[in-house]
Amino acid sequence: MEKKAFSRGWIVAVAATLLVVSLFFATGCSKDEASSKASGKTLYLYNWTYYTPESVIEKFEQEFGVKVVLDYFASNEDMFAKLKAGGSGYDIVFPSQDYTSIMMAEDMLLPIDKSKIPNLQYISPLVLEKATYDPDMSWSVPYFMGASGIAVNKTKVTDYARDWSIFADTRLAGRMSMLDDMREVMGDALAHLGYSVNSTDDAELAAAQQLVNEKWKPNLVKFDAEGFAKSFSTGEFWVVHGYAEAVFEELEENRWDEVDFFLPPEGGPMYLDSMVIPKGARNVELAHQFIDFIHRPEIYAEFLDRFHFPASVHTKAGELMTVEPFYQGEDLANYELKNDVGADLEKYNEIWQTIRYVD
Amino acid sequence: MNSHMQEKRGRRLGITYSAPMGLWLTFFFLVPLCIIILYSFLKKGLYGGVEWEFTLTAYRQMLNPNFMRVFLRTLWVAAISTIITITLALPCGYAMARSRHQVMWLALVIIPFWTNSLIRIYAWIAILSSEGFVNEALKALGIIGESLPLIYNQGAVITVLIYMYIPFAILPLFTTIDKFDFQLLEAARDLGASKPESIFKVLIPNIRSGIITAVIFTFIPIFGAYTVPLLVGGKDSYMIGNIIVDQVTKTRNWPLASAFSLVITVVSTIGVIWMMTSTASERARLKAPAQVVDANGGIS
Amino acid sequence: MSTSPNVKSAAVAAKLKKQPKKKRLEPSRLVEAPKGTPGPYKLPKNQMFQDHRKFGFSNIMLVLVIAFLFMPLFVVVTYSFNASRGMRWTGFSLEWYYKLFFDSKELWRAFANSFVIAITSSIVATFLGSLSAIGIKWYKFKSRAYIQVVSFLPMVLPEVIIGISMLIFFTAVKIPLGMFSIFVAHTTFNLPFVFLLVSARLEEFDFSVIEAARDLGATERQTLMKVIVPSIMPGVMSGLLMAITMSLEDFVITFFVSGPGSTTLPLYVYSMIRYGVSPVINALSLVLILGIMLLALGFRRFLKTIAASS
Repeated sequence: MEKKAFSRGWIVAVAATLLVVSLFFATGCSKDEASSKASGKTLYLYNWTYYTPESVIEKFEQEFGVKVVLDYFASNEDMFAKLKAGGSGYDIVFPSQDYTSIMMAEDMLLPIDKSKIPNLQYISPLVLEKATYDPDMSWSVPYFMGASGIAVNKTKVTDYARDWSIFADTRLAGRMSMLDDMREVMGDALAHLGYSVNSTDDAELAAAQQLVNEKWKPNLVKFDAEGFAKSFSTGEFWVVHGYAEAVFEELEENRWDEVDFFLPPEGGPMYLDSMVIPKGARNVELAHQFIDFIHRPEIYAEFLDRFHFPASVHTKAGELMTVEPFYQGEDLANYELKNDVGADLEKYNEIWQTIRYVD
Repeated sequence: MNSHMQEKRGRRLGITYSAPMGLWLTFFFLVPLCIIILYSFLKKGLYGGVEWEFTLTAYRQMLNPNFMRVFLRTLWVAAISTIITITLALPCGYAMARSRHQVMWLALVIIPFWTNSLIRIYAWIAILSSEGFVNEALKALGIIGESLPLIYNQGAVITVLIYMYIPFAILPLFTTIDKFDFQLLEAARDLGASKPESIFKVLIPNIRSGIITAVIFTFIPIFGAYTVPLLVGGKDSYMIGNIIVDQVTKTRNWPLASAFSLVITVVSTIGVIWMMTSTASERARLKAPAQVVDANGGIS
Repeated sequence: MSTSPNVKSAAVAAKLKKQPKKKRLEPSRLVEAPKGTPGPYKLPKNQMFQDHRKFGFSNIMLVLVIAFLFMPLFVVVTYSFNASRGMRWTGFSLEWYYKLFFDSKELWRAFANSFVIAITSSIVATFLGSLSAIGIKWYKFKSRAYIQVVSFLPMVLPEVIIGISMLIFFTAVKIPLGMFSIFVAHTTFNLPFVFLLVSARLEEFDFSVIEAARDLGATERQTLMKVIVPSIMPGVMSGLLMAITMSLEDFVITFFVSGPGSTTLPLYVYSMIRYGVSPVINALSLVLILGIMLLALGFRRFLKTIAASS
């Protein structure tokens, strides 16, 4: 009968099983640790998901005889919240431009010793011009500059405007999504209206708010920053606002012709992700070596190849690419970096509430 | 030992046994809640965190009409989901209590839990998508021509919430019904009550505490749901849980997040106390001599 | 349970004598004792009266709901055998299982973290919760009501609130986020489940046994180890299993309190959202479910042999 008292043998059996399983995992883990224990060095990276190719990491591990541990974040806010809450021990973090400047202002970073990174010579001066918060790379080294764009499913949509006004197209209602990102959506609207994506002018912001709420939102199904690629690949959404690498990653290569990915010509918000060394890093020396390693032309080209990125940051690697990027560096000409707007972010917050919380 | 010493010993033993958990919960659960109460009255820091300045801004912000709209929507979704969940869980709990294979049913109800909750939600996306199982099946049967928009709306959120929380409703209902004396139902039938009458007039009142427990375990977590509305909801499905998380991660307005959390905590605590007092009073009532309900619903 | 069947039956019998018998559904709803059963035969009370038909409404509902609960699992398992990554079925393939066992370093690291936290937090929670259930159930002391309410709250409060409060707490107290913070958070939300399950088991435990043990001179520790613990074992075990389950699948709370190097399995799954849920995760789900079922089944047989021999 099930209700009889369980005997001590049961406890022993459970404990034994748990012990065996734990041992299994302990030995499984230690196999990885063995190599780093040999040299004693581990590099801790805090990066966006799928932003550095495995092959590059492995090459670095082999050449320098160290181990690399990666932690991922899906948004700058996540990363910032975790670091602020006391998460330390990372050697390199990959924040976007606005958060790089915030981290600089909040004194969370260690300075970059440029003498240890000779490959900085390849960083494009145009990028440094845009990075007004740190133009001489004292605190951050640019990693990649890109932008979100629009992906259209050509098998379902044949006649459309190749700019931000596609979201006002009522024929596509119920089949479109935009990023769940306040600065991105507002930036798109501001750019479409001809304003700066960093505008803090009340009239301009109100115009952008009206555009999104009255013209775009009725046609959108949801604001999605994570699943848009999946929804696009299954045909659920025909037009998505999102990142090229995500959309194409989701589709098999033979289906890439079905997609028209473009960056609207009016311009829009752009991001510049940099490598920074936070305070509390355990291996500052190794971090510098990694940054230098990444910017070797052949290594950086590998990175570009993997994600079909344009060489927007690196002057040499573009020549070494073996595949076509999903968009060109020139497409970014009209794009603006989303800079930190400080206390005026409240204005954006309030507008975003009317966009996001109200249907 | 005389009874006074026994009482003292009882008290000492009780405290010794319960102190570890009590201390743990006090330090790691109540203290964080107290910090939240404190933060809700402070000023928001520029890049997150708080500044030590007393203000009621957070509460004033909470009364913003946009938030109120989301609050009402959350209330509506939670109420509908709870009602449907309980309605489905009651017959299940009853059937499980009457069954010969209780352990098997319990296992079947719990096994889905061993799959990661995110994966289960993703499975629902595959089921409800335009090219997902339901739509494809309906199209194959010729019932519809075009896919139905089954996902990324409130309906999908309610469906998946019901799915996630039915086990939470079934288990307390099963536990209470299991203790119920089915002879009472038999007696009611003998006295002329029809089956539905005997269910509604004899069974339901006697498992009141189980129903209340099931409601508490369903309504409150659904009210604070976050992942389900985020993943399967559309632009009309944002709920309070999402807002609270936004305030912490995106707008970094910790005082506002704390204010929301505080209100929900207070309401939940009241709910829990109500649940516990009704359980206790029902236990006391069951110890008294039985009362038989006759065919007219009168008690003798 | 302390209903007194004799009183009830007497009342019912008295009522029946006064009123004419109503039409019955079946000739005999009382279950006959199997032939050859010695002595008074007592069926479990929930089966005494056969008004409960096999294909009745409640049974059908139960089957439907169970099917409803398993439907997404069926989808998950199906896709784990899909040859391609997307939603379209392109053919049967074990590719993802291969990848799961041989090419998923990150995943297994996350799983190991989940596992370690689940085991440690469950054991601590079970230990604290069971002891507390014993104390609350039988003894009266001043803070009893307080502990009862406080023990329920973590189970009932929405996870976002618990997660946020713990994040704010750890930040304020300067405890670094990592495996330890996740361990603390998981133990905290596991405690109510253990407490509840062990309390439920204690309901059926007769306190006079304890008194008897004391009268026979047993010390408190002996009473605990030899009398109480063995008989509440089912409750403790189900509490432990429940805690492990809740800990393994928790996402929201872990999301808030995790730190460097402490990615757990649900967090890892979430981080793969941008690229769709790789079927490797589906494969892992099936492996986990089968593993736990095997464990449960294996122990049941082991149990039965132990029960038979004792």
